[in-house]
Amino acid sequence: MGTTARLKGFIILALLPTLLIYTFFVIVPIFWSAYYGFFDWSGMGDAKFTGLANYIEVIKDEIFWRSLKNNFIIIAASVFGQVPIALVLALLLMKNSFVNRFVRSAVFMPMVLSTVVVGLIWGYMYHPQIGVVNYVLKSLGLESLTRAWLSDPKINMFSVSIPIIWNYIGPYLIIFIAALQNIPSEINDAAKLEGAVGFKKLYYVTLPMIWNTVKVVIVLCIAGSLKAFDQVFVMTGGGPAQSTELLATYMYNNTFEVYRYGYGSAISTMIVIVSMILILISQILMKRKNQ
Amino acid sequence: METKTDHREVLIPRTSLVQNINVWKIGKSWISKIILILFAFAMLYPLYWLFVSALKTNQEFFENPYSLPIHWVFDNITRAWELAGMGKAMINSTIVTLAAMFLTLLLGTLTAYVLSRFEFRWKGPLMLFFTLGMLIPIHSTLVPLFMIMNKIGILDTYWSLILPYTAFELPIAIFLIAAFMSSIPKAIEEAAMIDGSGYWGIFFRIMLPLSFPVMSTVAILAFLRYWNEFAFALVFINDQALKTLPLVLTIFSDGFGTDYSLTMAAMAIAVLPTIIIYLFFQEQIMKGMVAGSVKE
Repeated sequence: MGTTARLKGFIILALLPTLLIYTFFVIVPIFWSAYYGFFDWSGMGDAKFTGLANYIEVIKDEIFWRSLKNNFIIIAASVFGQVPIALVLALLLMKNSFVNRFVRSAVFMPMVLSTVVVGLIWGYMYHPQIGVVNYVLKSLGLESLTRAWLSDPKINMFSVSIPIIWNYIGPYLIIFIAALQNIPSEINDAAKLEGAVGFKKLYYVTLPMIWNTVKVVIVLCIAGSLKAFDQVFVMTGGGPAQSTELLATYMYNNTFEVYRYGYGSAISTMIVIVSMILILISQILMKRKNQ
Repeated sequence: METKTDHREVLIPRTSLVQNINVWKIGKSWISKIILILFAFAMLYPLYWLFVSALKTNQEFFENPYSLPIHWVFDNITRAWELAGMGKAMINSTIVTLAAMFLTLLLGTLTAYVLSRFEFRWKGPLMLFFTLGMLIPIHSTLVPLFMIMNKIGILDTYWSLILPYTAFELPIAIFLIAAFMSSIPKAIEEAAMIDGSGYWGIFFRIMLPLSFPVMSTVAILAFLRYWNEFAFALVFINDQALKTLPLVLTIFSDGFGTDYSLTMAAMAIAVLPTIIIYLFFQEQIMKGMVAGSVKE
């Protein structure tokens, strides 16, 4: 009895600080913003209850839908950019040779860089006058292809996607390499005996063997690209004329630039809902295809 | 992760036909090697450009933006350090990062110890509760956290970064450490228990020291995350004297917009610590980040 009471006391005391910090800073904010979405508050004075007004305004705002669409562009660019690149590289870099290790660490390196620095460097690289992108095009004689990469609303969403793709290939590459190295050597031997080589082997043997990993990576990729904010915020701030607005930059600009905390709370709640729906859908789709 | 050496190759008879195939294979593998190395350099190019530009004069930056500097100048670095308060920002980043790392490691190991060693009624729901946090999009908490911290008066202090950083890193830290602790044999603790050590004694004298390998991984990941974090710092810190490196960089690039080599020098100062850490702890960082992301 004495020891169980002591154990109980220890467990409670050991878990308490973690639970307090975690609940207060991670969980409470979700409910807080859902609640304050019903109020109008400018940061000073009293908050005024306005019912569903903020939520309705968000849904009616064309910019909200554009931001959502832009988020989907980032997700699509990540899934169709990062996953194939990581997979092809993993097939080429599977063996642990010196050169392969070097290439792997080069591909992974952007992961440790500050996202602000990534945004700033790419911002310079896209610069119409001093940027390397236009410079290379000019020196290749492709003058007609040079443009203002970040300000032309027709292409700037794709321009901001490239640094994000570049930034996050690393972990997917490592996951794919681990999966490929885990394929039992008997299976490779059997494939060789059956005469499956090259693309045939890739399609009939290798891909099916790592298909579950591919699915996990796609789910991770969707969840990861939902978090995109820093690079785009630094490169364009959501502009020009809100053409590169993401849900997170839209939330930021509507809250901290114009001091509408109630409206910002409503957008935050929408971000949570959108994220949860997307994560749920991607999980369900992945499980269904499994059967 | 081990390479499987292919013993069968030794058994293949070396007829001329096979040798021809080998020549073709070797040629192909060299071409793919060269392409891969070029690809690696392309991946590294933005970073190379950053460091090269940081060591040029502005005039040279405009005249030949892509070559190595003709005159290496370190003047930009010292100017960035003094002019833009990069020194002060470095101190702020260090304080916030170290404090949050300390809290993350202490609370993370303590919680992981309880979760990996004891059975109690709320364990299952508790694990689920921590998993939930990893699904919450971090940016959706910016507005409510701003309001909450404003209310309790810690906005615009170091705590407004230290506490949220710790809170959001804890789930990953707990899962990584708990997985490691589960692999430590229980016999050691049982012996200590018989010797009369209490739970706290076992934690501090046995479990904590035994967990150093995984703690170092968690520490490195936390360092990278805290050092580079931008969104929270942008929203929660307004006081010029408290701004962290990423924040100062954005202001800097606005203010000194056309002084490119100065801005590049400031960025070089900010990324150098993370690159050095990466060069030393590559394997650990790769494995840790992958384990952390898969847990999510």
